[in-house]
This record gives sequence, C-alpha cells and structure tokens, in this order.
Amino acid sequence: MAFQEKSAWIMSLALLLGGLFYFGVVAWMSSQIGELAPPILPLVAVYTVILIIIAIVGHVVIAVFAPKDANTALDERERQIFDRAGHLSGYVVGVGVLLSLGLYLFSYSGNLLFYGVFASLMISQLAEYAIQIFLYRSGV
Amino acid sequence: MGRRSPITNRVRELRDKHGSMTQAELGDAIGVTRQTIIAIEQGRYSPSLESAFRIARVFGVGLEEVFRWDE
Repeated sequence: MAFQEKSAWIMSLALLLGGLFYFGVVAWMSSQIGELAPPILPLVAVYTVILIIIAIVGHVVIAVFAPKDANTALDERERQIFDRAGHLSGYVVGVGVLLSLGLYLFSYSGNLLFYGVFASLMISQLAEYAIQIFLYRSGV
Repeated sequence: MGRRSPITNRVRELRDKHGSMTQAELGDAIGVTRQTIIAIEQGRYSPSLESAFRIARVFGVGLEEVFRWDE
C-alpha cells in the first residue's frame, strides 16, 4: 500500500473519531439543556487537538515502517488522484453549505448553520480521503 | 474495479528480461512509486507520455515495443 493511501486511512480514522466525539458531545449538551447547544470554542479546540494527535502519531508510525516512502514526493499518478479527489470533495462541501444556508432560511438558527457548515467541512474532507483510497485501488 | 485502459503494455515481461528488475527499481529509474508501476502493469493506469518514453529508454526499446493500443 502506498504511503499516501495509508495516510488517507489515518486521516479518515482521525476525522471519523473526531467527528463522532464532537457531535456526540453536542448531542449530549443539547439533551442536558433541552435545545440545540450553541457552538463553543473549547469543544472545537479539543476536536482539533484530537485530530492533530491522531494524525501525528499515525504518520510517525507509518513513516517508521517506510521511511523512504515517507520522504518521496507525489508522482504523476498520485497527483492525478489528489486533484480528482480534491475536485470531487469540493462539490460535497458546496452542497453541504448550500443545504445549511437553506436550513437557516427556514429555522433562523445560527447554531444550526454553524453545525451544518462544520459538518459539511468534515464530510467533504472525509469524502476526499475516501475518494483517494478508492482511486488508489481502482485506478485513475 | 476501475475502467480498463485500451492501452496494454509489456512492462512486466521486459522487467523479467532485464535481469529480473524489480518494480521498485523501475519506479526509481523513471521517478514514480512502486505502486504506480504495479498500476501500469495491471492496466489500471496509463502513464504520461514522458513516463512512457522513460520506461522505453530504461529497457532500450522503442515506445511501441512497450505500449500498444488494443482496439
């Protein structure tokens, strides 16, 4: 498996765990106060730290097992994979933001708008890594 | 899985003829990863014209002796 594909698996796992943690806490806070909890900076900070720790530890581990691959620049096929995944994931975030804005027009909830856009960013990033993995395995 | 390319190649056969050159050695020689050589050999990736010429030069043969368009 290519280093970049392993990296995509690690980042997918990090995003999935981070997202589950973040929205799990939001759901718990909302159930405590009986309405949608407002976004709070410390929770976003903890989410970011979780993401960074998993990314760093994961990449150190795969780099230790394949130090040469870790220092290799993307080749022509990998650049195509990254370009295509980035292009397609752009649609995901675009649709997510549009849906969030549409939801705001009906709810006038700034909190919901924040969570919608935040979730769109997470999902599009996850989609980008998933598409990378798919293209690594199926061909460009 | 992915769509098959109409371009077929003899990279694996030429590697074997070239003193059992490994995929990693060929990848290093033309500046791509071992995984990309595997993808080329399996027909999952058609290399750029530059890389195709580089592969042919490594084996000391013409481009059409390595790659062929199969209708």
